[in-house]
Amino acid sequence: MAENGFRLLPGDDESWRLEAYLRRGGYDTARKVLTSMAPADVVAEVRKAFLRGRGGAGFPAGVKWGFVPQGGAVPKYLCVNADEAEPGTFKDRLVLLRAPHQLLEGILITAFAVGIRTAFVYVRGEYARVAWRLEEAIAEARSAGYIGPHVFGTDFRLDVAVHQGAGAYICGEETALLESLEGRRGQPRVRPPFPAVVGLFRSPTVINNVETIATVPQILARGANWFLGRGLPKDGGTRLYCVSGAVRRPGAYELPAGTPLREIIEVHAGGPPEGRSIKAVIPGGLSAPLLTPGEIDVPMDVESLARAGSMLGSAGIIVIPDGTAMLDVLLVTARFYAHESCGKCTPCRIGTSWILKIVGRIRSAGGSPADLDLILRLADGIRGKALCPLGEGAAMPIQALITKFRDELERAVAR
Amino acid sequence: MSYAPAPGVLRKIEEAIGLYPEKSAALLPILHAVQDGAGFISPETEAWVAAKLGLQPARVREVVSFYTMFRRAPAGRSTLQVCHNVSCALAGAEDILRFISEKLGIGPGETTPDGAISLVTVECLGNCDHAPCLQVDGVDHGPATRETVATLIEELKAHG
Amino acid sequence: MNGKNPVGLTIDGLKVQAAEGTNILRAAEQAGIDIPHFCYHPGLEVEGSCRMCLVEIEGLPKLELACSTVVRERMVVRTATDRVREARKDVLEFLLAEHPLDCPICDKAGECYLQDYYDRHGLYASRMVEPRERRDKKVPIGRGLLLDRERCVLCTRCIRFLQQVTRTGELGMFERAVHSEVGIFDATPVDNNYSGNLVDVCPVGAITSEDFRFKTRAWFLARRPSVCPHCSRGCAVVVESVTNYPLAKGERRVYRVTARENPSVNGFWICDLGRDGRHDVDDGRHCAVMKNGVPIKGLSWQKAVADVAASIRAVSSPERAGRITVVLNSRLTCEELALAKGLLVTGLGLDQVFFADQKPGSADSLLLTADRTPNGKGVLEAGFSPRLPGLDELAAARVLLVFGTHLLDHFGEGEIARALAAVPSKYLFAAHTGPLDRLVDEVLPVAVPAEKSGTYINVEGLRQSFVRALRPPDEAAPEGAILSCLASSLGVSLGDADAR
Repeated sequence: MAENGFRLLPGDDESWRLEAYLRRGGYDTARKVLTSMAPADVVAEVRKAFLRGRGGAGFPAGVKWGFVPQGGAVPKYLCVNADEAEPGTFKDRLVLLRAPHQLLEGILITAFAVGIRTAFVYVRGEYARVAWRLEEAIAEARSAGYIGPHVFGTDFRLDVAVHQGAGAYICGEETALLESLEGRRGQPRVRPPFPAVVGLFRSPTVINNVETIATVPQILARGANWFLGRGLPKDGGTRLYCVSGAVRRPGAYELPAGTPLREIIEVHAGGPPEGRSIKAVIPGGLSAPLLTPGEIDVPMDVESLARAGSMLGSAGIIVIPDGTAMLDVLLVTARFYAHESCGKCTPCRIGTSWILKIVGRIRSAGGSPADLDLILRLADGIRGKALCPLGEGAAMPIQALITKFRDELERAVAR
Repeated sequence: MSYAPAPGVLRKIEEAIGLYPEKSAALLPILHAVQDGAGFISPETEAWVAAKLGLQPARVREVVSFYTMFRRAPAGRSTLQVCHNVSCALAGAEDILRFISEKLGIGPGETTPDGAISLVTVECLGNCDHAPCLQVDGVDHGPATRETVATLIEELKAHG
Repeated sequence: MNGKNPVGLTIDGLKVQAAEGTNILRAAEQAGIDIPHFCYHPGLEVEGSCRMCLVEIEGLPKLELACSTVVRERMVVRTATDRVREARKDVLEFLLAEHPLDCPICDKAGECYLQDYYDRHGLYASRMVEPRERRDKKVPIGRGLLLDRERCVLCTRCIRFLQQVTRTGELGMFERAVHSEVGIFDATPVDNNYSGNLVDVCPVGAITSEDFRFKTRAWFLARRPSVCPHCSRGCAVVVESVTNYPLAKGERRVYRVTARENPSVNGFWICDLGRDGRHDVDDGRHCAVMKNGVPIKGLSWQKAVADVAASIRAVSSPERAGRITVVLNSRLTCEELALAKGLLVTGLGLDQVFFADQKPGSADSLLLTADRTPNGKGVLEAGFSPRLPGLDELAAARVLLVFGTHLLDHFGEGEIARALAAVPSKYLFAAHTGPLDRLVDEVLPVAVPAEKSGTYINVEGLRQSFVRALRPPDEAAPEGAILSCLASSLGVSLGDADAR
């Protein structure tokens, strides 16, 4: 339970409607912002609050917004990244289902701050039904005048549309999302130029994760200092930590940035079931290198996890219990990236496939330490050379798994 | 054997085109609408969509073949998607998959002879706190057990 | 360098100047430093996907792409450090892991990027023991082009060429991940006048042409620059011929015509008409002097010229102007046209000098012009007012000299036969055999433009000089040599207008 009585996510599935949202003060902040603040001040407040992107990269949102050139007649766009597909992550689904108006209010404020008139919410194709609720919320907001030509009676106009993906993890990467939205294969673009300058339909574009945008209203409601106070100086606010795997109470927990991983797992998610123990923990979605039991006292914030050789990523915590064959985890991991690689760049396209082939072979027919060494080498071959972070996301967890569970893997493949 | 969309589908298509400043951005929504109507996307459909959006047909095929949700051949009336990623695997997804295979007599990637159910394995569905997860016709089911899956299969067969 | 804010940078210790906006790869190339790459092509938009051109840039932590990074003042680039070499080896190893061992049967051997790079990096032993992806190796994609999907390195040059240059977009990238493959939408194969560039542009042997497949080896080919004569654009080409090897009967000499870069004329591309021009060099050629439609082995063209001179001399001076008729064509070089002017107009005082050329076709929006002759402007510059002769004008001649066979483009064979029947002495100077051969007294075999040295003036008035790319066959000779010899025989001095 987050401090100061404020929660991003209602605990129930009924209070998502406009009526309920208004009763808890919904859209008051957006109204205040649109009628009494200057856009630049909104950006400044969000920057001061150190709101980090909650999609995986952790880049400060206020700084990203500042990259968009102001002035000029070119339309600007906001793309809300609801392509949640990092294994172990389900928080954005919950925001869409339980707090769609919170998201819309965040969209309003963000659009106002950056000078944007059109927002697309790119929802992964598998969340089609989840998106129905967001569509309903948009209709409610439109009827109430919170979206449309004269928001709150001002001359600020905003259009919001939902755009559905069609099954591609890579579309969570910003520029791949833009390609997909424009009606093409979801293949990342060469950067520079960056989306803030050349984005959707070649216009300046801000892309932010669902949870990031949904968090914006509280910053403007209570102020940057309040927000920072709920988290850390360089990682403001509370965030939704997803916990799944071998825990008694899987779910999303809204906790201050920097909450120790062990606390999240054992106190909030109830720890492993009776008689089981923790063998390893993936801290930030599958792309985050796993941690051994001795490493899980790490604070769950962007910088601490980077120092620990992993990453906060999408905050998708997966608890792997004793008795799990790490070779199986290696296979699932290799299979995922080989399947989701978009195929555009050489190292990721061929590297992920080659690694999967080796893992598949040694799992079914046995192998040698040299095979494990080769996988490590191939992962190194991908790192630093791929076109987008999917390559890094494939290589790092595989290297960590092999390095940290080397003995077990060698025994498992020796026949 | 050329393609022509049903009126309802055509309406969705026109709506989609109106949403974007560039017509080609309507491609994914249009392909969804077309597939919802016809069950899959044939080459004739690809050609029709290409003409509708002023795109070369190869552009449409590039998109249809890239995204896992687009089907290029008819599938069963319902497609049972079983997640086999980490959290679901830890929760017994392999066992569920085996159970479904035995019950239906098909493996992943196949369709039952009566055309009722297709079975596919998928990556993370974003529902990990309900592992092991299934999705059928857009509806999420989880945590799946042998019992709940058996019931689900009966329901799917019954609605044939 | 066009002086537009030149940028000074250092590449491998070498101080380099490059125009503002140039990418590192191009700047290095201009300075003589070769950075390996596949997907980059100066005529196409940057793709950045092969990852082969990664280089070190001082001050930046990661390796950066040379193709997509624009030069900046005082930038320091290193293209040959251990780190860069390792990165290239990694990328190459990935490509080779999924590449078939086709070199012995692959047309691209000897001019293949992958082959060159793997050799340079010493990647002879593969660590890939897993089964390679098996793919179709002979996919027809249109216009006699075949795609080998196993060889394809997915650089997307072919796809981008069709999207960005011809804007026809027939090729696409289908499927995803390692299963990605280039292909066509079945009902719309590649079908445009620039399809041959796809073979040029493919860095490996994935796209081959049926016309060239298995016919020869790149290292047998002498590559000589020339100018395409099939329209008035004057695209820069390379004529690739097997000239140093004894040819079996019927074997071609020119194996292919490829594009040569010329920023002022054709950029990086040529059209298929120009490529098909290889047939013009080898097919249906006159190699011997013909008398009454019969080739005479061993009869030199100079002897034949003597016959022409004799016929001309037989016409008395006062009658020459109106009774010696010459039909020229716009494939003659500027030098040959000057010779013709000097001999026929100035020297002999003829006023019945006409032109018969290939009829115009349709222009396309890229390179091909409607005018299908290479030197229309040269003809005007030489002071001619080109006009097609009437059949009556041909029939009125006592001596008729026809250069080229394009009268057939304007008149029926029967009509020409009837007109020529009335002419006492008639000579044809042609490169290719045809129906006119038996309508004249003698045929002198001539060279095609690739076998000549000279100058053409293109549609935009640009003078382009070229040197012969191969010798004319047997007794064939350039029109210039023939005209010079004829002038000599007739005692006409040509002064400065001598053909070289």
